Amino acid sequence: MPEPRPARMVEIVLRCYPRRWRGRHGGDAAELAALLIRDGVPARSIAWSYLHGAARERLAPRAGRRLAATAAALLAAVVSVGTPLALLSATVPASAASAHVSNRHDTAARREPLLRCPDLLGEPARQALPVPPATNRTADGHGEHC
Amino acid sequence: MAAGKSRRDDAAGQDVLRRAGDASVLILTSLADGPKHGYALIQDIKGFAGLQLGPGTLYGALDRLEQLGLAEALPTEDRRHPYRITPAGATALRTHLDSLERVSAVGRLRLQLGGI
Repeated sequence: MPEPRPARMVEIVLRCYPRRWRGRHGGDAAELAALLIRDGVPARSIAWSYLHGAARERLAPRAGRRLAATAAALLAAVVSVGTPLALLSATVPASAASAHVSNRHDTAARREPLLRCPDLLGEPARQALPVPPATNRTADGHGEHC
Repeated sequence: MAAGKSRRDDAAGQDVLRRAGDASVLILTSLADGPKHGYALIQDIKGFAGLQLGPGTLYGALDRLEQLGLAEALPTEDRRHPYRITPAGATALRTHLDSLERVSAVGRLRLQLGGI
């Protein structure tokens, strides 16, 4: 036997709620709607109230969603700051090494391209490494530490 | 200045129902004399406040009260969830009603003094 039309309308509107809400209140809400309709409350106003509630439920930020949004923002911040820093750490030490060599008046090293020796260890690790003596340099001015 | 701000924050913190909405206050008032399910809450509120709460509003307010720890759901009877007020809910309701009483008293006094 098909359900009466008002109950069907409320049932359709209740599907607008998130699954979590329906799992918790769905049966209770359908029962309440049936009782209110029996009391003479217009089904349209009940459906409208549920529709309004469903919209609020979907739009209201929940604690979990807030946490996820914060995590996503943090990840985006780390990526946006970390990527340029990683690029800098890959390029700056090479130019710094070049400047260091040129201070020693090594003419062969002066001809060395700036990006020939990228430092993959980053600035702190590079500073911790001992500076190689000038005699270690190869004929083309490329240091052994590379 | 800092002390004043702190006092203000404390006062706002005590009356947690101030921003919870009228539906929350009506529901807690209805639950104050014992647990009720959704239909009984709507009927009771209609009786003492002359206001028919929409079922969507009712469930939204009940969820908010549960999140605040002011009301809690009891085990399901049939398909119905009865709710009851928690001790924190009773304290919050008392505080809020005291605040409303103060405002009401001042309002009545001023209306008298104003001769309106």
